[in-house]
Amino acid sequence: MEPIRYVDALNNKYGAMGFPAYKWSVNETAPWTPLEKPLEECTVALLVSGGISHCSAPAFDPDARNDHRVDAVDPDEPTDGYQIHDIYYDHTDAGRDLNCIFPIDRLREIADAGEIGAVAARHWSGFMGRTYDRSRLTAESAPAFFENLQEDGVDLLVAVPA
Amino acid sequence: MGLVARVVEHMGIPTVNVSTGRDITALVRPPRSLFINRPMGNTFGRPGDAGGQREILRQALNFAVRADEPGVLVDLPADWNEPFEYFTGEATPEAIAKQMKT
Repeated sequence: MEPIRYVDALNNKYGAMGFPAYKWSVNETAPWTPLEKPLEECTVALLVSGGISHCSAPAFDPDARNDHRVDAVDPDEPTDGYQIHDIYYDHTDAGRDLNCIFPIDRLREIADAGEIGAVAARHWSGFMGRTYDRSRLTAESAPAFFENLQEDGVDLLVAVPA
Repeated sequence: MGLVARVVEHMGIPTVNVSTGRDITALVRPPRSLFINRPMGNTFGRPGDAGGQREILRQALNFAVRADEPGVLVDLPADWNEPFEYFTGEATPEAIAKQMKT
């Protein structure tokens, strides 16, 4: 089947409710940092934006806008200890097995098999979207997030939008 | 999410996106993207299918090594063997209005 046209679908939905279209960022070019180590030596972190928080932490607000919250996730915590609060995707399956969208256990197995160097000390969940204040994102929140990755010696970030 | 990846990459750490929204990813253009035509929420597959989940993650890692062009977007072979639709689920007009208010 053809990929779902999310941009049109969201604009139609918003339009039908009398709201203006969401203005997606449009970029013609992309930044680039070469991956210079072999995978077997890379420390890898995961980032997911699906409203996933540990049950001991507050839930994400699924109605939020401009929510720049990003939680550190302990890679060794059991993956059945998380809650998902997001109204823009179907997280029924992810609620049964977090790895459907946030493959913490799978990355550990890949590390145990020696295919990557190490799992990072922290994974990340946040940046839920509906971000209208993008200058704050690019000037403050994302650079602060980068500092965390650097502190953990991350060589590669796997980002999973949802 | 793509914007965050762009900043992280710009500041010096390579990133790879695993996307289920092809059109959004094509607009935002993260540095490296794999598109998989599955329901948003099932990027890595079905509950309990550890082998299948691991395989997609492994493909993302290997793609990070192989990719050599900024903004590259590669389609994984379609493998979701049932139709799925745009998830209209739970977003109410009230929720959207709350987001739209500035």
